[in-house]
Amino acid sequence: MSAQIDEPTDQRLIQSTLAGDDEAFATLVARHKRKIFGIAARFARNDAELQDICQEIFVKAYLKLKSFRGEAPFEHWLSRIAVRSCYDFLRATRHDRENVPLDGIELGTQPSGNAEHARELLQWAMNRISDDQRLVITLLELEERSVRETAELTGWSESNVKVRAFRARQALKRILETSHER
Amino acid sequence: MNDDQLNELFRAARTSRPDTSRAEYGFETRLLAAIREVRNQPTPWATVAWRLMPVFAAIVVVTGAWSYNVQSQMAAEATLGTGDEAAFAGLFGGE
Repeated sequence: MSAQIDEPTDQRLIQSTLAGDDEAFATLVARHKRKIFGIAARFARNDAELQDICQEIFVKAYLKLKSFRGEAPFEHWLSRIAVRSCYDFLRATRHDRENVPLDGIELGTQPSGNAEHARELLQWAMNRISDDQRLVITLLELEERSVRETAELTGWSESNVKVRAFRARQALKRILETSHER
Repeated sequence: MNDDQLNELFRAARTSRPDTSRAEYGFETRLLAAIREVRNQPTPWATVAWRLMPVFAAIVVVTGAWSYNVQSQMAAEATLGTGDEAAFAGLFGGE
């Protein structure tokens, strides 16, 4: 007889949560938090912000759980909430981010030589493009989502995503060139 | 900066995935506490108003129907009144 115990499916955990079992929701969170933290970390500036964003995402998910119809995997549904929450966060903190100086970030070095440096430089530059452009570039280039996935996650059309991505790339090139000349 | 350089920057940034382990530690416990707090909060007025929307809609429909009925009755009575006056005038020579 096999000693292996089957883990409950997401659907089963959702049903238990809706029936009032908070521990079932905790299991669901533990199962999916790595992915959600990964998405949110592209937008947060520190651990405190990261925790705030993730908490908001999962609280929203908990409150909307009744509306989850199971047509798509739970992870997709949760990712959509995560992306929208990150977008809201970007809009709410836009003013703070624009004023961050370039101190400590060296320009003109080979980005491939230092991944951490590349990430910081890119983050600095992305603070200077519009929120929708930043969201699209993060999903397409950093999270390596397809145009279709990005469109589903953001709720924008595929052509809209392509246009925003093109504009974002142009803006980033311009910003990085200007900062390099300084 | 050209497209290749920008793509190289993206590639390098992709390989540096932020370490989220510290923020993830004990997250479920804090989250459940936050959820309990949210659950215990009184329902905001806006939410209550939205939930009562079907009731408001029903009241509007009933009031509209009642108002329409009353107006129709009044119009019918007014028409009847004019008819009566004409009939009296015909019978008694119309003074």
